[in-house]
Amino acid sequence: MLTTSQLRVGSIFKVDKDVLVVQRMLGQKGGRNGMVTKMRVKNLLTGGTSDLGLDSGEKFDEVDLDMHNMKLSYVDGDTYVFLDQESFEQYELAKDDLGDNASYITPEDEFDVEITFYEGKPVGVVLPINIERTITYCEPGIKGDTSGKSTKPATLDSGFVVQVPLFCDIGTRIKLDTRDGSFAERVK
Amino acid sequence: MGPWYTGFQMTLDILCKVVDNYGDIGVVYRLARALSELPAAPRLRLIVDDLAAFSLLEPAVDPSRMVQSVRDWTVLSWEGPTPENPAVYRDAYAGDPAVAVIECFACGRPDWFEAMLFNPDDSAARTIVNLEYLTAEDYAGDFHKMPSLTRSSRVRKHLFLPGFTAATGGLILDDAFMHARARYACARYACARYAPAERFRILVFGYERDYTRIVEDISLFSHERQVQVLLASGKSQRCFLAAWERAGRPFSTEPLPFLRQESWDELLASCDFLIVRGEDSMSRAALAGRPFLWQAYPQDGAHQLIKVKALLDRMRPYFHAASFQSVESAFLAFNDRLADGPDLVGGERIAPMLRVEGGLARSYAAFSESLVANGNLASSLMTFLREIV
Repeated sequence: MLTTSQLRVGSIFKVDKDVLVVQRMLGQKGGRNGMVTKMRVKNLLTGGTSDLGLDSGEKFDEVDLDMHNMKLSYVDGDTYVFLDQESFEQYELAKDDLGDNASYITPEDEFDVEITFYEGKPVGVVLPINIERTITYCEPGIKGDTSGKSTKPATLDSGFVVQVPLFCDIGTRIKLDTRDGSFAERVK
Repeated sequence: MGPWYTGFQMTLDILCKVVDNYGDIGVVYRLARALSELPAAPRLRLIVDDLAAFSLLEPAVDPSRMVQSVRDWTVLSWEGPTPENPAVYRDAYAGDPAVAVIECFACGRPDWFEAMLFNPDDSAARTIVNLEYLTAEDYAGDFHKMPSLTRSSRVRKHLFLPGFTAATGGLILDDAFMHARARYACARYACARYAPAERFRILVFGYERDYTRIVEDISLFSHERQVQVLLASGKSQRCFLAAWERAGRPFSTEPLPFLRQESWDELLASCDFLIVRGEDSMSRAALAGRPFLWQAYPQDGAHQLIKVKALLDRMRPYFHAASFQSVESAFLAFNDRLADGPDLVGGERIAPMLRVEGGLARSYAAFSESLVANGNLASSLMTFLREIV
C-alpha cells in the first residue's frame, strides 16, 4: 500500500478500478496529525483530472508499473521527448502529463529520470528527490547572510521560479526538492 | 435533496483521538452539543479513544463502559469489541449503519470501524468528512469542502475547515456559549452606562512561559483599576504565579480548578481581558468580543508565528491602524520562540490592551460580530452533509 506521504509527482496508485497519476502538488498544510496535501491527479482510464486534498492517514493500492531509465532528449513545444538509455528508443510525454516535473528539468541535464509505464504506455516521470539547478536570475544577495530566515524569488535554468534564501545569487547552484519544488540547500 | 432541516434524521459517527491536553475532545464535545441543538438534529455516535478525558468534560461518561448512552448520544470506546463482548458494537449499528462519518483532525479510524466501512460485501456508499483544525490561514478557504480520497470509491471523503471567513465552515456557535456571550455583553453595557464593575477581571490560560512582562503590565494597570487575575488550571498557572511571587504579589490572583466546558465558557465570557491558548479557547475569546492575547502552540522553526500573523490579518480590518500596532506587537512578541527555545521576554506589552486605548474594545467587538455573521459551523456542516451524503 502507498501512503499519502509517499505520493509524489509521477506516483501512480489505484482506487478500485481507477488508476490515478499525481500530476501536480498544489500545496500542503500541516497539523498535529500530519499534513494535508492538495494535488492534481489524472485518471489514466478516463483522462479526467481533479484536484484533491489528501490527509496523511489514507493508504492506496499500488499499481504494477514498468520503470525505465531515460534522459530528456529535447522539448518540442508542449511535447517532452525522452531517450531510453538501454534501448535508445524515444518516448513522448505531454507537458501536462509531466505536471510540476516539467518545470524542473532541461535537455542539458546529465541525471537520469524514471519514466513510468502503465499497460505499455508512458504515463509519467519520477525525478530524483533532489536535483541540482543554477539560478539564472534573482535580486542581489547579501554577503554573509546565512540565516536563511527570509527568502526571495529566483529563476532557475529550467525556467522554474523558487523561493531561495537571501544569500543566493545569480550563478548559485542549488538543490531543488522535486517533491514540492522547494529550495533544499546550496550546493557547496 | 431538500434543506437539511427537513427530511430523514441523519446519524453521524464522530471519531476523536485525544492528542494532548483537552483541545481535541473539547471541540468534539462542543460540536456534539451544537449539532444536538439544531432543528432536526442528527443522531450522534461519538467514538473516543480517551473516555477518561471525555468524562472530565461530561461527567455522565463512564470511562469503564465500552458502549453507553450519554445525553441522547451513543458513546463508544475507540478500542472496539473484545472477545468477551463481540456483540456490543454490533447492536449499536444494527439497522443504523455508519453512513456519514466525521473524522476529527485526521484522527484516522479504529480497525473495527475501518472493517465496517470498507466491508467488501457492503455496496452502500459511505461518506467521511475530515474536520480539520481551526486556522486563520488562507488555505482554510482553499481546502474547505475539497474532495479527498480513500482506497475505495464507495467510501467518499471530503475536507471541512473551520475558519474566520465566509469561505470556510465558520466557528461553532453553541447555545450555552452564545447565551453567556449575550448576557455579559448586556452586563458590560449596563456597567459602562451606569456604574463601572468593581474589579477588572483577567483570565490567563496559556502554555508554560515567562510571564514577567505580563505581570509588570498588570501591576501597573492595577494602580488605575482594581484587578483580579483568574488562573486556569494547567501549564500557565504555575508559571504565572512564579512571576507574580517574584514581583511581590502586586494584585489579586485566583488559581482555578479544572472547569467543565460550560463553566469555562461562562467564565471566559465574563472576563474583561483574556490570555488564551489553543484553538477552541482562542475561538471563544474572538467570539466573546473582549480584548484578548493568543498564545499559539509552539512549533519547530517558530512556525506558530505564521498562524499568529494569519489571525492578526483577519483582525486588522476591524481596528484603527495606530491602535492595532500595540495588539500586533504584543501578539508577535508573546509567540516569538522556538518550540524548545526560551521565551523572549519584554516585547509583549499588554498595557494598551488593558486600557482599551484607541477604541480597541469596539474593534474587538466588531471582529466578534463578523465571526458570528459567518454562521454556525454545526449548521454549515449539516448543510454540506445533506448535499453529499
